[in-house]
Amino acid sequence: MNVLEINKLTKQFGDFIAVDNLSLSIQDGEIFGFLGANGAGKSTAINMITSLLPITRGQIEILGKNIVKHSKFAKANIGIVPQELAIYEDMTAYENVQFFAGLYGLRGSLLKSRAEEALAFVGLEDKHRSYSKNFSGGMKRRLNIACAIAHRPKLIIMDEPTVGIDPQSRSYILNSIKKLNEMGSTIIYTSHYMEEVEEICTRIAIIDHGKIIAQGTKQQLKAIITNQKNISIEVRSVEQLDVEKLRDIVGVNTVELADAVIRISSDAEINNLNKIIQQLMASGMEIRSVEADEPNLETVFLTLTGRSLRD
Amino acid sequence: MSDTLWLIRKTLITTFKNYKNLLLYIGMPIVGILLASLIHGGSGETTLRLGIVNHDEGQTVTEDTVQFIKQLDHVEASGIKESEANDLIVSGELDAVLIFQGGFAESLRSGKPESVRIVSIKGTQVTGYVSSYLNAYIDNLATIGRTVQGDAASFDVIYNGYRQADFELSKTMVEDRSVSQGMTKQTIGYLLIFMLFSAVNLSGIIIKEKENRTYFRLLASPISARTYVISNVIVNLFMMMIQIAVTLIVMIRMFDIDPGIPFWQMFLILLLFALVAVALSLVIVAFAGSSMAASALQNMLIMPTCLLAGCLFPIELMPASIQRFAEFLPQHWLLDTFSKLQLGSSLDSVLLNLGILLAFAAALSLIAIYKFGRNRDMRSYI
Ligand SMILES: Nc1ncnc2c1ncn2[C@@H]1O[C@H](COP(=O)(O)OP(=O)(O)O)[C@@H](O)[C@H]1O
Ligand SMILES: [Mg+2]
Repeated sequence: MNVLEINKLTKQFGDFIAVDNLSLSIQDGEIFGFLGANGAGKSTAINMITSLLPITRGQIEILGKNIVKHSKFAKANIGIVPQELAIYEDMTAYENVQFFAGLYGLRGSLLKSRAEEALAFVGLEDKHRSYSKNFSGGMKRRLNIACAIAHRPKLIIMDEPTVGIDPQSRSYILNSIKKLNEMGSTIIYTSHYMEEVEEICTRIAIIDHGKIIAQGTKQQLKAIITNQKNISIEVRSVEQLDVEKLRDIVGVNTVELADAVIRISSDAEINNLNKIIQQLMASGMEIRSVEADEPNLETVFLTLTGRSLRD
Repeated sequence: MSDTLWLIRKTLITTFKNYKNLLLYIGMPIVGILLASLIHGGSGETTLRLGIVNHDEGQTVTEDTVQFIKQLDHVEASGIKESEANDLIVSGELDAVLIFQGGFAESLRSGKPESVRIVSIKGTQVTGYVSSYLNAYIDNLATIGRTVQGDAASFDVIYNGYRQADFELSKTMVEDRSVSQGMTKQTIGYLLIFMLFSAVNLSGIIIKEKENRTYFRLLASPISARTYVISNVIVNLFMMMIQIAVTLIVMIRMFDIDPGIPFWQMFLILLLFALVAVALSLVIVAFAGSSMAASALQNMLIMPTCLLAGCLFPIELMPASIQRFAEFLPQHWLLDTFSKLQLGSSLDSVLLNLGILLAFAAALSLIAIYKFGRNRDMRSYI
């Protein structure tokens, strides 16, 4: 049975379509990534899955049951880590987790052990009695996660859990997601960070303007663009570079400059590396290194949407 | 049920953890009593100057009634002629004049007492005290009159017994009641203000939860929005009960103020007002888009209406047009109920007042429920 089944899901705010005819299914044990730029409609889709927003059209099923008809069942089986912190600042870390787990019917010693377990899981075991208002940003994010997992939901949804935190907390969180998954939870992971999604997700849906424009495993997504190759050339300085001339070379699709690195995406079929290097040398560039990359999700996104994820 | 209790538990814990809340919810009403006793304590020393016009001379019963008035505490009474009455009152030499018509004693004997006319320009604030005692006294005699069915001889026999037994009694009973009652009304006036403020603060938790987004986490759990709001209302009513009980107990026990109304009556009537306060607070929360807006509405609505309704000083001091306006305010009906009961009205005779309070609570609740029902969008509340 699929943990989550979404069929032609649409959300309209007035005339604006935030989620557009979205269909996907997620199986037990997956870490499923929603990848998309800000405003793509990821949070809106998640808010419908968690019954926070009414659905305009389409159906959602959790563990085979329609979430509108079996709202309590659906909610009881989901743990949501919202994009923005949702914790009580005037309660201790333990009280926060205890309270939210209690909403799912846990009481007494079971509640206590699950709450302690959840706090230990996110590395806050020695902060039980500390008030969350005194926590650092990363610690608050971790508490935000603990509040969603203490009741051991079948499906855990994380909406951009790593936004704006230090690298240490980030890798802690990514590792704990993998652990949660190994312990039996199915996970939906939302992000606009390519590397994270690439690192932990088993399958990925790329969302743009409310639509899924591609979905599959990393390999499947990259296969979409195997006709592309990436060439990175490091030079001493890009000041005198004539980008137009590079673009005119047969096969070259895009040219991007980042500091002293020239990134070129080109048709894989056409062997034009010689011409590119000749062009650079002709304009007096001092070449330090040349690399031809495997395509990554960044290139996939760029090819499919014509935009880079970051802007 | 268990869900509701779980939510209530959390709200109570976070509320009581913050000592500022305790100060606000329980400390302030006590400060109110202190203020009331300061304001009214001093005025207790003033005496009421009465003039008495007796057109029913030579009647023992009437003489006794005059005597009864003269021996009331804080009353200075002297016999005057009716022709002097207006001048003495207008010049301020007298606070009020009581006029006994000829046949007054006779009317008592027959059990159908003629009322004593009271002339004053100072309103019930001043005369209420005397008239309430006088009415009680007259009622007693009229009861004797009714029992003997106009039989003058039997009346005199019973009356003579009553005179001896009761005069002493009434003397001890008549302590400084007007002051006590004034303090009570003032205390209740302050209590209403604090109840309204506390109610909005407690309902405001709903808005705060929306602002720190914990509300959405709650709604993503199997708990329904309705359960959540109900739990908030229960906490709110519970806090109101504590406020009322603490205020009444401190007022009666520690400050020795005799309100002139039984405790449980006051408690239940104030509980009715608590319903109004909570319903009003829900309306404010339903319409306010943020904590800021809610506290702005709170300030805009509560203080001015409390002022107009007479929570801060007696409404008799206000122009008549404003007094009329007060009738649109629930605070007025609560205070009016207390005044009536203090003047000796029975519970039956204030049923209309209580009905009006209940209607206020019902109407405000309906508005809140209607508005909550329309706030479906996640970005607005509930
Ligand atoms: N309640 C709302 N009313 C109107 N527009 C909304 C509402 N919520 C989201 N949107 C719009 O829908 C689009 C998708 O938003 P969102 O789902 O938050 O994107 P993401 O999470 O992918 O960054 C955005 O353009 C946003 O402005
Ligand atoms: Mg989002």
